[in-house]
Amino acid sequence: MRSHLRLAFCALCCAALACSQTPPAEANRAYQRLAIFAPSAAEMVVALGAADRVVGIGGFGTFPGEIEKRRVVGSFDQPDIEALLELNVDHVLTTSSVNAAAAYERLGRLGIIVESFDTSTFDGVRTTLRALGERLEREAIAEQLLEEMSDGLERIQAQTAGLPIPKVLIAVGTDPLYVAGPGSHLDELIRLAGGSNVAFDATSPYQRYSIEAVLERQPDIIIDTSGQASSWEQWPLLPAVKSGRVHPVDADLLVVPGMRLVEMAALTRDLIHPELATR
Amino acid sequence: MRVRLNSRRLLGWCLALAALLLVTLVIGVGVGSGSATLLDLWGDQTSGDHETKRQILMQVRLPRTLLAALLGGALSLAGAAFQALLRNPLADPYVLGVSGGASIGGVVALTLVQLPLGLRFIPAPLVVPIFAFLGALAALFLIERVATVNGRLTVYTVLLTGAIFNAFSAALIYFIQSLASLEELHAIVFHLMGRVREIELSWIGLLAIAIAVPSLWLFASARDFNALSTGEEGATQLGVDTERLKRRTFILGALLTGIAVSMAGLIGFVGLVVPHLLRLLIGPDHRLLLPASFLGGASFLVIADTLARTLTAPNELPVGVITALVGGPFFLVLLRRRGGQNGFS
Repeated sequence: MRSHLRLAFCALCCAALACSQTPPAEANRAYQRLAIFAPSAAEMVVALGAADRVVGIGGFGTFPGEIEKRRVVGSFDQPDIEALLELNVDHVLTTSSVNAAAAYERLGRLGIIVESFDTSTFDGVRTTLRALGERLEREAIAEQLLEEMSDGLERIQAQTAGLPIPKVLIAVGTDPLYVAGPGSHLDELIRLAGGSNVAFDATSPYQRYSIEAVLERQPDIIIDTSGQASSWEQWPLLPAVKSGRVHPVDADLLVVPGMRLVEMAALTRDLIHPELATR
Repeated sequence: MRVRLNSRRLLGWCLALAALLLVTLVIGVGVGSGSATLLDLWGDQTSGDHETKRQILMQVRLPRTLLAALLGGALSLAGAAFQALLRNPLADPYVLGVSGGASIGGVVALTLVQLPLGLRFIPAPLVVPIFAFLGALAALFLIERVATVNGRLTVYTVLLTGAIFNAFSAALIYFIQSLASLEELHAIVFHLMGRVREIELSWIGLLAIAIAVPSLWLFASARDFNALSTGEEGATQLGVDTERLKRRTFILGALLTGIAVSMAGLIGFVGLVVPHLLRLLIGPDHRLLLPASFLGGASFLVIADTLARTLTAPNELPVGVITALVGGPFFLVLLRRRGGQNGFS
């Protein structure tokens, strides 16, 4: 009995070894059938004119209209392996997720390549757009889009250069208070649009922050994407509240960086320097 | 080590702990992420930022520090009362499952409920605490019904019902979470992660009354708890109506826990460690232990929240991290020094 068990165990080990030695699916092939979990990457693929290659999308976030009707194949932290196989997906595009590392690894063994992109900063957006252009074999369009993006951002930066620099806070949550800090695209947007971030010392891109520090630093402008901008009225001494410059902004318009960086920068500029607003 | 309790000793300890609480409150209001100090209340009244500093002290730090004191006291007292009721050193305020009901109530308010027009007068920051408290009350009613067998509340059924109700609540919350949107998911995580919230000073008075009534009622049962520590039969022979005592303690402790969880989510450790710590220091007599637990728990949470606000300022830490990281090792050291004696035996 015991020797049987031992034999079975050995056989199992061998099988496991054999499995683990299957070469992982080959990387760097062109994308043919895509599932996209990251809305930012989806925007880019659509902008590159490759919406027809997208066969599945993720369950979280707002996806561009061209592909929003595609089948939902799980989410970034819980890919639906069966659906991905059924749709014959060859690549999954996502942002990194620690939760799903095991599932991603398994997808690799099944021949579906998972690629993570970091689009949380301006640089990340540029790098991702360039990489997607290559893999979709649309390098020329990617370069053109990148150029337009750089031009648009430079134009806005030039407009705000030399203007007074107001103190700005971007609140992404109010209860508890979460603010956009260094390392987020929102921090870069503030600077580009001619403001300075009062949460310059937040230790992470989106950080739980002290209301006391905000009161003391006296932001001139508060951009609130939490949906609860009215809660700022309890602090009437804040310059932003006093002068009516607490701006509620739909989170969709600002918080997901991607192809709309120039629009986001223009919106931020209009809020920080209304004298420059185009209308 | 049993020291007889006389009124001098009782008064002495209570005054000392009250003084400690006062000191922690002063420190709590005195320090923060900003540069405002207590002196600013009397300083140059005309300077430009005087008003802001005053606002920071009176409208940010004071209410939050007082809230920490009230909740810390409530949790610690509930823990001490449940440890006495269940005669179990592992009992804490969350053991009866009422916290599970509060968690469900809060999560439901965050995800499923669109407030009907007639109820829109409730200020937005209070919606979640109110729903959480209703959840706690519903759970209290349900658990009390289920745990009562033949008109009696037995320790085993209470413990098991509580454990099962907590597991059930956790599963229900996971279920709601798995259907929630990303924003709702964030809100749920923040709600469940213990924290002392920002609150308006005007609500503190109401909360203080809501916590004071059950607390004083529990203090008044101290003699009966002492009798109960000899066992239920022993207590009955001493003339204690143990059924009424158990039911009353269950309800009062659950009310305190329900209020605390509604306002602050699950802040661990306060209700477990502070009563044990004090039992080691001052002995097991509940006439002293119960008020001491309230005062000690209040000081402990004020200190923990002050650290949470200031250690990484202006970034904030979850207060539960501090209570466990500071409270745990400190308690173990004390336990070792007392040779493992826990004051129960």
